[in-house]
Amino acid sequence: MAQDASVTPQLSSSVAPFLHLQRSGVIQVDPKLCLACRECEVACSLLHEAQCNPELSRIRVDFDDFVPGLPDIRVCKQCDWPACYYACLAKWGEPAILIDPRTGARYVNESLCRACGACARACPLTPERPVIHEKKVGKKRIRFKCDLCKDRPEGPVCVEVCPGKALTFISAEGRK
Amino acid sequence: MTMGELYGWTGKILRVDLTQSKVSTVDTAAYVPRFIGGLGIAAKIAWDELRPGVDAFSPENMLFIMVGPLTGTLASGAGRVVVAGIAPQQRPSVFSRSGIGGHWGAELKYAGFDGIIVQGKAEKPVYLWVHDGEAEIRDAAELWGLGTYGTTASLRATHGPKTRVISCGPAGERLARIACIQTETGNAAGQGGFGAVMGSKNLKAIAVRGTLGVRVADPKRLLALCLHASREGQSPPPPEGTRRWRGWWDREAGPNFRRRKCGFCITPCADGLFMNIPGEAVPGVHTAAWQCWGYSTSFRAHIEARAMTADFGLNGWEIAYGMIPWLQMCRQHGLIDKIDGVEIPVPQKLIENLEDVAPVSGAFLNVLLRKIAFREGELGDALADGSCYAAERLFGGKGAPLLDRIYPRRFGQTNHWNGHWGTGGNPYFPFWLVPVLQWVVDSRDPASDSTHQFTEHVLRYLPEHGPERGPLTFEQARAVCEQVYGTPYACDPTPTYEHPEARALPAIFHHNRGMLVESLVLCDREHTRVFSMLTEDRKADTALMSKLFSACTGCETSERELDLGGERVFNLLRAIDIRNHGRSREVDWQVAQSLTFPAFTDGVVLDLEQFAPMLDTYYRLRGWDPATGYPTRAKLEALELGEVADELEALGKLGKAIS
Repeated sequence: MAQDASVTPQLSSSVAPFLHLQRSGVIQVDPKLCLACRECEVACSLLHEAQCNPELSRIRVDFDDFVPGLPDIRVCKQCDWPACYYACLAKWGEPAILIDPRTGARYVNESLCRACGACARACPLTPERPVIHEKKVGKKRIRFKCDLCKDRPEGPVCVEVCPGKALTFISAEGRK
Repeated sequence: MTMGELYGWTGKILRVDLTQSKVSTVDTAAYVPRFIGGLGIAAKIAWDELRPGVDAFSPENMLFIMVGPLTGTLASGAGRVVVAGIAPQQRPSVFSRSGIGGHWGAELKYAGFDGIIVQGKAEKPVYLWVHDGEAEIRDAAELWGLGTYGTTASLRATHGPKTRVISCGPAGERLARIACIQTETGNAAGQGGFGAVMGSKNLKAIAVRGTLGVRVADPKRLLALCLHASREGQSPPPPEGTRRWRGWWDREAGPNFRRRKCGFCITPCADGLFMNIPGEAVPGVHTAAWQCWGYSTSFRAHIEARAMTADFGLNGWEIAYGMIPWLQMCRQHGLIDKIDGVEIPVPQKLIENLEDVAPVSGAFLNVLLRKIAFREGELGDALADGSCYAAERLFGGKGAPLLDRIYPRRFGQTNHWNGHWGTGGNPYFPFWLVPVLQWVVDSRDPASDSTHQFTEHVLRYLPEHGPERGPLTFEQARAVCEQVYGTPYACDPTPTYEHPEARALPAIFHHNRGMLVESLVLCDREHTRVFSMLTEDRKADTALMSKLFSACTGCETSERELDLGGERVFNLLRAIDIRNHGRSREVDWQVAQSLTFPAFTDGVVLDLEQFAPMLDTYYRLRGWDPATGYPTRAKLEALELGEVADELEALGKLGKAIS
């Protein structure tokens, strides 16, 4: 939808970020191709947390071999209208969830996070399929989520490591 | 090394004494980096503590369930677990090993342990609950009698859906010598009969859940290495046979199929899970264990039979490649014709090798598997101990000579076609001499960790090999073999016993690498690659394992140093075999004698007369005394195993110096 430029100046400046959010790329998943090997989980935690630990991964693969059905791959959908971002903004004024200028990723700045959990509660995928997780840093339980490996020129590491090609990175421009 | 500095390893090994109902830990740091982890640590502890004369089912037997420094990391193939101990399936029972894929191993690591060593025997059935650095022995009265599927479901209901479980089924409870340790629906420690060792200890299951993760010394380097390795994939693409399965899945299972692998692996291997497939006896079964069956049968019967073996906790390989062909041979020779009224199917011609085996029906498989798992009747009772023990007990022993055609009885394990074997095809003479050499000195069929890569490389890459055509030229292959094995003749297809070192050197190289695979712990379908399509000279990065090890643990180790580690583990296992079980050249020779039937591929028979000097060369290159097959002091000391040399010397079992 074309933006109606005439509307913007009439809004107060504090509301402006609501309208000017850059779109984000996204990791698209195809559970039919997923091998349930969990390489994405360890690759993610290795890159972001310097250890191999699925509990610290931003992407999660849930499956039970005794229950029919495809694996459930949970990763942030990088919404056009990110409820997590707005919840943080509304609560704190200066949000700890930021928008990466290169990829558009909605990511948590860990040093700014106040550990309130508003973002996770606001996320439309919560509570059934959470994509915003918490971890302990010092005494704080801060939140973390997919940042599309914004600092990695090659793109998201989970996409690169996936042997089944179940994950695809779609850029903001390529997104429908 | 202090605890705080450990990377890769979690630092603790769990020791469980079921007789005393006590749980304790030992520090991994006492054993590493010298013994690496996994099988290496198991071998060291077994050397120190397992004395000769311990029976597989005695409480003194130790059940090692180990993971290594790379388990649960991004290194491809890092989902595996090593199981070791005195193996009841082996005949006589010797210290041997097996392994499990899936997700259990990583979960154990995340729970904070580098392995579990179980000793003693519980008074009544128990299971072990391991979670985030803690372990408890719990009552398993309600689990005893359940299949492995029911056990897993029940433990997940108790401890949460993310709990990973290994367990023994009814077969293990009944001490069937072919009982496996099962996890999920498709991964098991099949060979060795370790499920029965669990059963003999009244240990029904081990449930784990961990959230602690694995610390990595150099995360950036490990990530870069793993991404590079993942680019290698399996090239050149898998042979036709692998693709054939894809069509079969779509046709037969449709939406009841999903892709599914072991954890933390990128190699296309056993990657399928069948869900809710209607069987003949039960309405819907799940199994991921659809590979490796020797008989042909209908799709439904096949899936059902594999789910039954997994649920009962039976070694499906032994039944498919040993028992069913042998029962058919027995019928052809008039020893038996029906099992509980169901006819044993036989082919028209006399069975000469596994290709001749007749298709079997679902009804036959149902009857057979139930009889074995529950030891029903004299037949079931005998078959539960595997074809090898059964052949001596049933039919007045008349079936034993028939079994010899397909089965090296020294191990109690049916073979991978006499060692003449490779994934997606079978190696031709003289290439199968390499797996045969490995067989002859090992305590089990080495296709679990040491054989795959050599046979697979020969089949896939060489320009000409039987019906296979690979992408390399002989010039390229020779240059790579010269560099990796130290002999250009390793890829020479001339059918001759000349150049014994051309067979012995690859056998030694891949056996040592196999020990590394079992100690790090990785998967032999992934390591060690020799040829590669991604490099100019077609040589794969053979230093990959040592690079992964260095990046993960922070112990900078060269390829050469790590190979010495693999050789150390191999020699230690040999020393255990010599001290505890009387292994010697004589025994090795018995194994060679049991491998003398026509090869599956080319019909060539192992010529023992020409094989003997090749074995001599093998021993010499190993640093073992060719007369006895015992390691020499020089070799053991070079491997920092001086204490082993002292003990062997005291027993008069040290090899004489090689002139």
